[in-house]
Amino acid sequence: MFQQRTQKSGRSVTTWYRSGGLSAVLFAVPLVLIFLYFSWGPIVRGLVLSFQKNNLVQAPEWVGMANFSYVLTDPQLPQAALNTLYFAFLALVFGFPVPLFLAVFISELRRTGWLYNVLSYLPAVVPPVAAILLWKFFYDPSTTGVFNSILGWFGIGPFAWLNSQSLAMPAIVLEATWAGAGATSIIYLAALTGVRTELYEAAELDGSGIWSRVWHVTLPQIRGIILIMMLLQLIGTFQVFTEPFLFTGGGPNNATLSILLLIYRYAFINGDFGAATALSVLLAGVLCVLSVVYHFVTRRWSTT
Amino acid sequence: MTRVSRWGRYGTALGVAGLLLAAAGCAKATDPSSGGAAAAGGEIDEKAPVTITIGDRPTPDKPNDIKAFEQKIKDFTAKYPNITVKSTETKWEAQTFQAQVAGGTLPTVMNISFTEPANMIPNKQLPDITDELKLVDLTKDLNPNVLKIVQDANGRIYGVPIDVFSVGLAYNRALFTQAGLDPDKPPTSWDEVRQYAKQIAEKTGKAGYAQLTTNNTGGWMLTTMTYSMGGTVESQDGKKSTFNDAPTKKALQLLKDMRWTDNSMGSNFLYNQEEIRQDFAAGKIGMVLQAPDAYDMSVKNFGMKPADFGAGALPQDGGPHGTLTGGSLKMISPKATKNEIVAALKWIKFDQFDKYTTEALAVQDAKTTIADKGFVGRPGITPLSQETYDQYNKWREPYVNVPVKQFQGYIDSTTSLKLLPEPSNKGQEVYSLLDPVVQQVLTKKDADIDKLVSDAASKIDARLAR
Repeated sequence: MFQQRTQKSGRSVTTWYRSGGLSAVLFAVPLVLIFLYFSWGPIVRGLVLSFQKNNLVQAPEWVGMANFSYVLTDPQLPQAALNTLYFAFLALVFGFPVPLFLAVFISELRRTGWLYNVLSYLPAVVPPVAAILLWKFFYDPSTTGVFNSILGWFGIGPFAWLNSQSLAMPAIVLEATWAGAGATSIIYLAALTGVRTELYEAAELDGSGIWSRVWHVTLPQIRGIILIMMLLQLIGTFQVFTEPFLFTGGGPNNATLSILLLIYRYAFINGDFGAATALSVLLAGVLCVLSVVYHFVTRRWSTT
Repeated sequence: MTRVSRWGRYGTALGVAGLLLAAAGCAKATDPSSGGAAAAGGEIDEKAPVTITIGDRPTPDKPNDIKAFEQKIKDFTAKYPNITVKSTETKWEAQTFQAQVAGGTLPTVMNISFTEPANMIPNKQLPDITDELKLVDLTKDLNPNVLKIVQDANGRIYGVPIDVFSVGLAYNRALFTQAGLDPDKPPTSWDEVRQYAKQIAEKTGKAGYAQLTTNNTGGWMLTTMTYSMGGTVESQDGKKSTFNDAPTKKALQLLKDMRWTDNSMGSNFLYNQEEIRQDFAAGKIGMVLQAPDAYDMSVKNFGMKPADFGAGALPQDGGPHGTLTGGSLKMISPKATKNEIVAALKWIKFDQFDKYTTEALAVQDAKTTIADKGFVGRPGITPLSQETYDQYNKWREPYVNVPVKQFQGYIDSTTSLKLLPEPSNKGQEVYSLLDPVVQQVLTKKDADIDKLVSDAASKIDARLAR
């Protein structure tokens, strides 16, 4: 078909038409238009907005790079960027291995696997806002708070949790890991079913124990998924908003102010949509670059 | 190769469509300006047919309010047959309001908070209604002190204040009694607050005093405390910060002492408005800076016993300085034409101000409020002249269902304390930069107040100069 198409144009159009090309396009048009309008439209609009001073009531005024220089010189930006990186780092160190471990663990269980599956996935069913309110209750800083009471039995604490500049971020990561692990481990579980059982049998015959089987068979076999999940997690953690917004409002002393929270403040507290979109565009740019770099760095290990 | 060429074709198609879309986006973005220009050019014709949309329609869970609301619209359109009135449930909320302004979905008239005009007037998101106000004869009724909230530097008016309060001290009378304090004598100076807080904490184990700190409320309340100590936050013209001096530092030092020396502020130092009211209603907090409207949420939403709620004056330091005001006003959509503005103001007058001057309406209003489990008689500050307001309250006296006596401290302060408006330039931004200052003082034992304040001042100066 492609060869035909590259030949005479007249003939190729007829062929294209006869083979149902027009109806294919007609089918695709509504989808493409909707996609363009609702998915790409806002992106383009956001890009335009980042170069404007616009209160969305009056005629917008083009201000060139003023919004960008404003957000780049904002003294809150370095702090927000560092906090976001810190969150991403903690989420990677603690949040990344947990679902992987869970998935491997659950897949090893023959009979009760479903039970652990349900238990680990349960947090994903709880709406984030409800979950965060619940955890806020756990993190009550008084000695009668849930976590402080439990730790108190062992003579530890009490901790200020969210009220402490140094503990607030780890506390948020703990909740985020709890909330996100189930959904991620389901994906790993699906990947694990694709690992050929002969490999395990062969390894067992060679006398390898459970840990070396996991290390030498399981992990290499699902590395493609692992790499993709890691990228998704990186992008996700760079856009963390709900947790700091609901847990601490960015405090104490901006210790949990994330970039997205800063964007939110620009737009909905200061009413400065130009600055908000400018920072969004910058963040999107950084994430694009990050994804490309990640792709090239991990190409050697990738399965695709 | 073929694969590439196919993608190439799709790419071109996408690109073209994208360009079209971008063009459409630009065209749309310029729309409002043309509408605005047309509106500005029109002449006022009071008899011309005009349609306005009114926000804040009561929600279906308040059937009596809806009935009264609809009756009012009927009466209004009977009086002004050329005006057609539509209504929506749209109402002001801090978190969504800017999005509504942005989305262009605002009704012609709606209630908004006092915190908004300071940003919206310079942003040109509110229309100048000075001339139209005179036309419908509303200007003379308004309390000039309160009117300042909606005026620009030239005295032009951009909104109609309808409901006013000032910050006072809410206190839990039950905790006062438990701690051996007289619940009818709330503290009036900051020294007393410190002493009382310590006593409450020691006797009851609850937080004696708590402070708002997150979502800009930290800066908001630090500003209030600064005012009460005789300081200011911004210069008159709003170009420079003025809080890098004794009053603000004194306020922060007081918080630091209560937190770290007396340990009388409990253990939670991240509070937004709703959370602090929740803990206050639950009896975990002895005293907190709040306007008297905290009564509604504490009692209605969080089940506080009305008998436990007390409202005192904003504590002062060294002579009466003043207190920060808040409240709500009626805004008119920036997209409204002149005729719509006039019609909207007629509605505002009919809806909000006639009840103050007509006994039957005042009583009717009280009755519907009670039928919907609302509160009648909660003290506040009048948007009108004091005589009108006193007369109005007298008419409604038989229907009062709020323990007004427990607000005595606050009521006394409404005449003795000056009403000070919020920082005029970029108020919310200033607050957001002050939040961490308060948070740090409360969560870091070795916080250096001088350095915190001077750092915040230089950051804020940079913002104000933008």
